[in-house]
Amino acid sequence: MNKNGIAFSRFHPVSLFCYFLLLLLFTVFTQNPVLLTLALLGALLFNAATNTARQTLADIKFYVPMFLLVALVNPLFSHSGATPLFFMNDNPVTLEAVLCGVNIAVQLCAVMLACKAFSKVMESDKLLALFGKVSPKLAVVLSMALRFIPLLKRKWGEISEAQKALGYFREESVFSRLASYARVFSALVTWALENAVDTSASMSARGYELAGKKHFSLFRFTRGDGIMLALTVALSAVTLAGFLLGKADFAFYPRVSTVNTDIFSIITYAAFGILSLLPFIFEVKEVLKWKYLRSKI
Amino acid sequence: MEILALKDLSFRYPTEEKDTLSHVSLAIEEGEFCVLCGGSGCGKTTLMKLIKRELAPHGALSGEIRFCGKKQSELSSRESAAGIGYVLQNPEAQVITDKVWHELSFGLENLGYDADFIRLRIGEMANYFGIAHIFREGTAHLSGGQKQLLSLAAVMAMSPKLLLLDEPTSQLDPIAASDFIATLKKINRELGTTVIIAEHRLEELFPIADKVAFMEQGTLLSFGTPREVCRELAAHKISLGFPTAARIWQKLGGGGEAPLTVREGRKFLAEFCAKNAPISQKNDKEKTETSKKTLGGTPALTLSGVYFRYEKNTPDILRGATLDLREGEFFCLLGANGAGKTTVLRASAGLLKPYRGKVQTHGKRAVMLPQNVQNVFIKNTVREDIEDMLATRGASKEEIPTKTAEIAEKLGVSHLLEKHPYDVSGGEAQKCALAKVLAAAPQILLLDEPTKAIDPAAKRELARIIRELCAEGTAVLAVTHDVEFAAENADRCALFFDGEILAPAAPQAFFDANNFYTTAASRISRGILENAVTEADIVRLAGGVK
Amino acid sequence: MKKTQILKYLILLVCVPAAVLLGALVFDDRKYIFVSACVAVLSCVPFFMSFEGKKTSTKRLVLLAVMVAFSVAGRYIFAFLPHFKPVTAIVVITGIYLGSEIGFLCGALSALISGFIFGLGPWTPFQMFAWGLIGLLSALLSAILKKNKIALCTFGALSGVLYSLLLDVVSTLWYDGAFNLSRYLALFVTALPVTAVYAVSNVIFLFLLAKPMGEKLERIKIKYGL
Repeated sequence: MNKNGIAFSRFHPVSLFCYFLLLLLFTVFTQNPVLLTLALLGALLFNAATNTARQTLADIKFYVPMFLLVALVNPLFSHSGATPLFFMNDNPVTLEAVLCGVNIAVQLCAVMLACKAFSKVMESDKLLALFGKVSPKLAVVLSMALRFIPLLKRKWGEISEAQKALGYFREESVFSRLASYARVFSALVTWALENAVDTSASMSARGYELAGKKHFSLFRFTRGDGIMLALTVALSAVTLAGFLLGKADFAFYPRVSTVNTDIFSIITYAAFGILSLLPFIFEVKEVLKWKYLRSKI
Repeated sequence: MEILALKDLSFRYPTEEKDTLSHVSLAIEEGEFCVLCGGSGCGKTTLMKLIKRELAPHGALSGEIRFCGKKQSELSSRESAAGIGYVLQNPEAQVITDKVWHELSFGLENLGYDADFIRLRIGEMANYFGIAHIFREGTAHLSGGQKQLLSLAAVMAMSPKLLLLDEPTSQLDPIAASDFIATLKKINRELGTTVIIAEHRLEELFPIADKVAFMEQGTLLSFGTPREVCRELAAHKISLGFPTAARIWQKLGGGGEAPLTVREGRKFLAEFCAKNAPISQKNDKEKTETSKKTLGGTPALTLSGVYFRYEKNTPDILRGATLDLREGEFFCLLGANGAGKTTVLRASAGLLKPYRGKVQTHGKRAVMLPQNVQNVFIKNTVREDIEDMLATRGASKEEIPTKTAEIAEKLGVSHLLEKHPYDVSGGEAQKCALAKVLAAAPQILLLDEPTKAIDPAAKRELARIIRELCAEGTAVLAVTHDVEFAAENADRCALFFDGEILAPAAPQAFFDANNFYTTAASRISRGILENAVTEADIVRLAGGVK
Repeated sequence: MKKTQILKYLILLVCVPAAVLLGALVFDDRKYIFVSACVAVLSCVPFFMSFEGKKTSTKRLVLLAVMVAFSVAGRYIFAFLPHFKPVTAIVVITGIYLGSEIGFLCGALSALISGFIFGLGPWTPFQMFAWGLIGLLSALLSAILKKNKIALCTFGALSGVLYSLLLDVVSTLWYDGAFNLSRYLALFVTALPVTAVYAVSNVIFLFLLAKPMGEKLERIKIKYGL
């Protein structure tokens, strides 16, 4: 990961949201193995580029078994398909089902990894900025909740320590521990609710009940954000055209169809490929730029 | 021009039989810095909340409140919201959003300003209040001082004409409190914002205040410049919470102008001593007796060369801390914030395991009262909490009620037993928490910042309770910032610095040896009187021969 | 009940499950997963809209934030017990004591914030919907649940099962793109231990927390006039 954070995350939340929404839509709606592989590749590369070594290891531990499980389980349940490989409990295990299982696994991993990328790029600030545009009131609630969570965790520590110092806290068995926890939890509730009343006083004092509120966020929509949005829309439009023309169609049953290789299909693949690889491209570009700048110093 | 005028204001809560405020009249000029003081429960908070319409409590109100010449009821909601800023006591609760920048913009969003205006204004605020470096941080992990400063900045962003602050520094350590007050002074002097602040720590506020309003039981006892109020109240023998210089002046007869700062206090004392011959150290019988008192009693808590760190890769917090606490002794450990004083208490309470050195309690039970006393309560009434503690300690069903009554009597909280722990005032809450702690029958009592957030009267009460406990043989170890409290009440004091407990000694010797980390009384009397570290010392020595 | 309210319940209790079923039976394509996610999100919309549009007291707003924070922070606090999460219990309590709207929002927003913190995923809309629904149902049944501890615990266990059932549907859809009963059953059976833990943890948390939290909420409501 480059030292200045994730390059892609510097775009405006609206651009980012549109990007991921369109990417996920296409990924969910297609069964075309080429497109799905491209989607997986983009998400995989981006995550690999922005992960620490430890995160990558954790991801491998999680995604590889999931991939295998999904791929292997499908043929056990799905018996359609024209090419039986062998029989299990009098049920055919077909080539189509096996391939379809792999395809589903690719799709699932692509979607999960894209969601992971989305979470990486959209910090709570950005999500709140987006949410605030639609529902300012809920955005405030979410913002308050996000503040309360670390506060509760800390207060939890304080109260349990105070109770331990009084000789209250018991941890001999799971049940006594649970009972002790519930006791402290209930004290925490009292504290939080009393505080909530002060918080609401503070809100009223700062004019929360006034009419004519406006929503503010630190993010500004710049030309770069516009270009990025336009690029996303353009690539999506080409991909969509490909979808509508049937270039992305693919079926596994009864027989696996062949991959389209006409010029329109290639264009569709290319457009979607670029779309899916965009975050990774930005990341690489930034790393190279810094290398270049540093070499000049 | 008068910015705020109260005419014959009375108020009564629906559930109370007496007026919480009765016939309060006062007028504040634009640009004035006004301090509102008085013991807890005197009606300060109620008065402040009535001035801020959005927070006004329900109840029977008579009289009139005028803001900028307009009746309160005639103000538009915008005028009231933006024109009067309000900062509350609790730093934890009054921060609203999760990010610092969002906190600054919150009020401006409510006022409906454009994004560009807000962007500029919050930038200005972050710079003026010196919080630019935390602009994009989360609010949850800020220190108490930073939180209060942020709340002040967030209120000031709305550019109020009048700023109300309800005990804003009571939860802060002395250094953060000084910073906060310095910022307030800056706002008042540089921006001309009118300030009304309710406080009971007045040492630093009196010198910068234009007006002081002193309240007692809902009435305005005195209103005027700080010196006028000092003179007027000298006759009433009310001086709790006043600056040390003013209290000494008052107790030594109170002629002429009241001194408010250490500098003025020194001048006054020097002149006073030139006129009246003070007692010299040699002749001070009382002093020699107290300082001769040797370490008695059997050891209660012994720390020998204790080392501790929270994590493997973090620096040591305790670095060979050594302490010998005796039965019946009251020991105060002083030191800067974040130095690790509380860690000493945690180690003593057995909450932490040192990696080197020993903590011995000699078979005695050590119980700790945390800094935030509310952490002690887990039930719905004070009585249930005390009874629960007794039951946990194995008291039989029959003796619980009598024991509860006994403890409550001892601490003077019998009238609070049926109340919810969150419905009592700061000083009362502390006594109730102490009651619960005493129900655990501690032989070693560990107190973390016991004088924080309580008023001077409650502090005196606390000192009385600690004295009584010590007399019964309980050993008390307190960590505190409050040098005055330590000087007046401790048997021994020590400085905690760099992981060690330095120079344990009787308070007189301890504070007399310190030049900077010492009491205001010691700073006032240095070079004028010998060995005077408390206000009582000065009054006794200077008043002497008469 | 007002018309909008009736509409709201209609959408939630009739339209959405109907759409889920219909989709499961009729759609034979991958589109289904997306359609159902849309349904889940859409079902939250009427609540969000009516909440945005009307005046809510600031105190209730902050209480909602606190309850959401509790349900998320509870995951850290009780982390020593795997799968023991107090989220459902707190959503149920919120529903009972603060009404259907706050109950629903508490559930939905808890899921959303969990997503903010632990990562958003395809499951987020369904979690929002499931917990929101649980909050809503507990508000509707509040009269019984407040008084009867057995009913409360049963409700807790059932909501654990409901949550599990719903999210299993989603998982099945992922595999097949359409609803495959045999796979669903297989999944349900494999997930049975987890479901059981959900149910048991809900019962335990409700048993331990419902009374004290309820008392405290009632006290705050009285003390500060909500």
